[in-house]
Amino acid sequence: MILGVLMNSGKLSHTVAIILKALSLGYQFGFDIMEVTGLPSGTVYPALRRLERDGLVSSNWEAEQQALQEQRPARRYYTLTRPGKEAEATATKRYPLLSRLIPEKAGNTR
Amino acid sequence: MSERPAPLPTDRLNRLSQLDRWLLPVASNLIPRAKRSDWVKEWQAEFWYLRHGECNARRQRNRVVEILSLARGMVADAAWIGMNSLRESKRGSAQSCLVQLALSCVACGAVELFYEGSWRSLLNVFFRYFIGRFMLVALPAIFVAFATMPRRPRKCNRGQARVSGMLPDNARWNLFLTVKVGLSLILGFLVCVLTSLPVGKALGHNGDWIDVIVSTIVLTTSLRLALDDQKHRCQRCLRLLREPVRLGPPSYNLLDWNGTELVCADGHGSLQVPEMQGSWCWYDLWVEVDPSWHRSFSSETCP
Repeated sequence: MILGVLMNSGKLSHTVAIILKALSLGYQFGFDIMEVTGLPSGTVYPALRRLERDGLVSSNWEAEQQALQEQRPARRYYTLTRPGKEAEATATKRYPLLSRLIPEKAGNTR
Repeated sequence: MSERPAPLPTDRLNRLSQLDRWLLPVASNLIPRAKRSDWVKEWQAEFWYLRHGECNARRQRNRVVEILSLARGMVADAAWIGMNSLRESKRGSAQSCLVQLALSCVACGAVELFYEGSWRSLLNVFFRYFIGRFMLVALPAIFVAFATMPRRPRKCNRGQARVSGMLPDNARWNLFLTVKVGLSLILGFLVCVLTSLPVGKALGHNGDWIDVIVSTIVLTTSLRLALDDQKHRCQRCLRLLREPVRLGPPSYNLLDWNGTELVCADGHGSLQVPEMQGSWCWYDLWVEVDPSWHRSFSSETCP
């Protein structure tokens, strides 16, 4: 339903489509997405928040223990929800060049 | 992820540290307290990864631009979260309803002032319209609206009158209703004047009948909307109830209860609206919940 609303209202913009595609290819962090898409942080973070609010993306904190073992802070990572995956599939169908624009993340075990 | 990248040059490190040390606490003030620590932690983690070399050639070339872009992004992110939280907290509230009505009145007044050109001629039009047409329609419309006014939902658990602000709940309910109806009447009046201006200029006195019809429709509709809106508000915080859920199967012998339940987003209670309002007194019922239930109802606890 959310997807239908987004598509009908034209809110599934190029930016959102690119971010959804990046997330589907295994880029899970804000800076990762900025790096691979070339979008500025002022676009990526508010877009991620909006997608999370609309239920297309969910976020989780990485396990503290694992991060501590590797002597680094835990990160918040973003993943696509089921409606998010549907939105991503629709966006890819609508913008076919997206698949060629963003390379799959190395080590992505989707 | 487990591989630690090479560190960055010192000047870039310093700039990033300044962002982390100075701008992050300032920007975090835009975030509501409940979400602040998570937001700061997220940005600190991202800065850590950036500081420890997760960068590409594009960034190496444009250090200052990159730092400025990051700063802008951080503030934009904080501002978005702050605005969104504010919008969520005000959505459907009594204040936002009154502000929207007042702003609509101001907008209509401004358009009419622009159309008429001067205050004096605008006031003249207002006076003529108010005495000549509006009063004729408004008084019967107000009478009909209040005669058929939806009954205030009964409280399931009647207790002592609660005081959740400066005024008791009942007084706040009535005050809000009065102000809302007043603003709706003013807005209705301004909309009627707005439509009558071009009609009057085009048709002269023949346009009077059209004005009366328009006034009747606008006033009746606006008053009905204002009164119906009141029916679906929380009796404690006056926020619009939401999440309508149908309850109970439709009964063959019409004796079992079935209808719709709406809840207050702040967790004050629920309104049960029966599918059929029969002569056997199936009125709307406001079920106020104990404060210990607030967390279960409230949207603030949702992830």
